[in-house]
Amino acid sequence: METLVFLVVMSFVIVLERTSDPSAGVLRGKQEARNLECQRISAAEAHARHPVQVPEPPARATGAQVDALDCQRLYMREGERPARDEMVLSSLRRDVAELVAAARAKVPHEPPLVWHVDAFYPDQAVAAKVAVAARTHMAELGLTVSDRVPLLAAGDIAVLGRLPAQQSYPTACARYVDQGVLGDDHVFMGLMIVDGREGQLHAGLCRRGQWTWLR
Amino acid sequence: MAAVKRAAVLWASAATLLLSLQARGDNQAFDAVDRAQVETLRADVASEIQLQAYDLLDELVFAWNEQPPFNADTPVVLADVSVPVGFGSGLQALIETHFASLIVKNPRSHVLLAHCPQCTAVVVRSGAKGTVISRGSQEPQTLAQAGASTGSRHALFLDFEVEGASLVLRARITRLDADLLIVHAKVLSTSSGTPALLRSEERLKSANEARQEYLDALRGRSVLAVPLHIGVRTYAPGGNTVGAPAFVWLSGGVEASLTQKRAWLGRFTVGATWSPELHVGWMAQARALRLLSGSESSLTSPDIYGFIGGSVISIYGKNAAIFQDDLPNLANLISAAQGNDPQAVFAAFAVGLEIRVKNRIGIGAFLETLPTMTNANAIGEYLDVGLFAFQSLGVEASLCF
Repeated sequence: METLVFLVVMSFVIVLERTSDPSAGVLRGKQEARNLECQRISAAEAHARHPVQVPEPPARATGAQVDALDCQRLYMREGERPARDEMVLSSLRRDVAELVAAARAKVPHEPPLVWHVDAFYPDQAVAAKVAVAARTHMAELGLTVSDRVPLLAAGDIAVLGRLPAQQSYPTACARYVDQGVLGDDHVFMGLMIVDGREGQLHAGLCRRGQWTWLR
Repeated sequence: MAAVKRAAVLWASAATLLLSLQARGDNQAFDAVDRAQVETLRADVASEIQLQAYDLLDELVFAWNEQPPFNADTPVVLADVSVPVGFGSGLQALIETHFASLIVKNPRSHVLLAHCPQCTAVVVRSGAKGTVISRGSQEPQTLAQAGASTGSRHALFLDFEVEGASLVLRARITRLDADLLIVHAKVLSTSSGTPALLRSEERLKSANEARQEYLDALRGRSVLAVPLHIGVRTYAPGGNTVGAPAFVWLSGGVEASLTQKRAWLGRFTVGATWSPELHVGWMAQARALRLLSGSESSLTSPDIYGFIGGSVISIYGKNAAIFQDDLPNLANLISAAQGNDPQAVFAAFAVGLEIRVKNRIGIGAFLETLPTMTNANAIGEYLDVGLFAFQSLGVEASLCF
């Protein structure tokens, strides 16, 4: 009887200590573990972020370096949004920063240009998010950015829609200039997915009727 | 506790699912339950997103207070508030309301909100290039007209998006003219794993200042506290007709948090009991408390602690007779009449639960085993668990200073 009580108590203690373990196991399923975003940080940073849970590291610490695994549940759990949308949106800041940096490198700083940005994505809500992310990032960097999106005529769009992506964007770029939608001091940046099966954003620049792929 | 809750929810969900399937016998039942669970989960997540969104708006308006986007008070049309993909208009309405409240209470930002019903309306415009159907906020001419009618020449767009475990706010102000140039832009993001700071709208602070206030509040919870308890101990009646009286105890002492998270507490108290003509007694008691309701104590919700402890109790007076091995007999009563009251000294080991609110007020209940009282005929057992029996039951209320 005593052995049984001892085993039950010890099991309870062990289970209690494992409640904070983020890895999949007895108390946490694989699905739940996948919905966590974890990063390894120093004990000092962990204390700054979570002063209640993590004690302040001793000032004169010696010996082994202690670090912490900081995990937070994803706002949108796996499967709540389409996988491609989730992939594009979860890395939006990083992707947009990379593409904008690539675009700036392609365009001379003088004379100052007016930037127009639009995104082409099957889901309109996601397309708007991508375009807004790019515009805001560029404006924050100090570029002159317009909220106006250059539009082509319905006939142009009907023709462009039947062309493969590699041809449609350069053609659209030429039409922007032909129609007088974009002047010499304007540059258009388009962000898109080229193949519906991929989750990586591509981008291109249109200036003076010339289309340049950035990625 | 979390695992137990999760298991309970899973069992409840499984039971509901089975019942639904039996009742309807088709896949529609599964869809309904599934949708209900997703909605519950979404509501839970939305409440967190709402707090984080408020936090980002606070940060944005605080930045505008420090560095206003305009030199003078400027009417601005709130053209669009977009919420993360997958969330609905409820969250949008909450964000709009909070933002409007912030702007009204922070005139130093020099931003005056103007009403713009056209911005959210669906607009149809036909021209040489074709017909365009869009929301007003996406239509330059509609924005320009809205600006003209409200006297505003600027439109504000707030865009929230979930990116992994972070919420990102992208705010931009656009000048309402033919070019729609963006005159101000700011991107703010919640840092991963940091709780919302919940600043006061009237006196916005920087994130660092708000965080310092939070840390100060935490430090306010000293490692040591002084608890005062008032409690009642009852003893199970034995096989005899003489029932044990209830003892009212008043005790105080010191309590120390043994961990940063206040998950383990140690407490030492001394107490006294007195009943006119019947008894006087003292007690020394030590307890170890373990937090059961989470991994750290909460400033906002009650905490549940489980505890074990030991005490030494001394009772002097007529009521001490019940703790003696023999029942009170005539000799004892005569001895008492002569002024020689009986005395009992014994040990007790307790196990119990305590609910604490804000680490200040608590109520608890406990069972005690009295290992030396197995032969006291006046005392029975409340609960026999095999290895030992609990003869005493107590409740207590406590205040911590």
